[in-house]
Amino acid sequence: MRQEVLRKGEGGVWPWFLQRITAVLLLYGLTVHLVVLHVLNIGRLTFDNIGDRLGSGFFIFTDFLLLFAVVFHGLNGVRMVLLDYGFQGSKRTALDAALVVIGVAAIAYGIWAFWPWLTD
Amino acid sequence: MIAEKTRRHENVGAGNWKGWGMWAWILHRVSGLALVLYLFMHISVIAASSRGGADENIFETFEKSIFVVLDLLLTAAVVFHGLNGLRILLFDLGIGTYRHKSLFYGVMAATAVVLAVFAYASFYYISNGEGPW
Repeated sequence: MRQEVLRKGEGGVWPWFLQRITAVLLLYGLTVHLVVLHVLNIGRLTFDNIGDRLGSGFFIFTDFLLLFAVVFHGLNGVRMVLLDYGFQGSKRTALDAALVVIGVAAIAYGIWAFWPWLTD
Repeated sequence: MIAEKTRRHENVGAGNWKGWGMWAWILHRVSGLALVLYLFMHISVIAASSRGGADENIFETFEKSIFVVLDLLLTAAVVFHGLNGLRILLFDLGIGTYRHKSLFYGVMAATAVVLAVFAYASFYYISNGEGPW
């Protein structure tokens, strides 16, 4: 047994917990994504068959889940790394704000990119 | 400013800056950062293919052999990061901390097996112009 100092500056319990939740969602979503698109349909991606797949609720659900989970998981991961390299105090507040802006923008951009298939 | 408290814990390998635990940590971090960079490229390529008019060339571009091989590298990063992440989740649940090394070997072996399937499909596609199934 040894002593460990826990600091609030370590990142917080919610980012830690949500990183785990999104990890599980990504294990599901990326398995579907890789197997369906890149193993079963290798070399057969076209604008039209992407639209066909996105006509099904299952793929709409999985793809949107992927978008939300992966943007959060990725940016929260970047935050974990940067907190290890001196982003504390006011720098950390600025970092958090910047990551929220980038995350919201990335999700909006992703939905905008999906939209032509959903309304086709 | 920062609230601190101490806890006693069984520290199995953590902070031990050597050995497999270190490599697992480094590989997880490097693959994670690479995947974040890829994520933003991925979203912008999807936007380009859905919003760039009826230009189908973007799909043909990514079917070139060079991109298929690069995709294998990407697959290696995704599969390793996912399986090693599963290993971390198990540790969080208190499972397998004393077997972290064997679990790391397991992660590497499983990554190799999954990658072999992708590599088979990829090289089959490169030489035949269509998938094996």
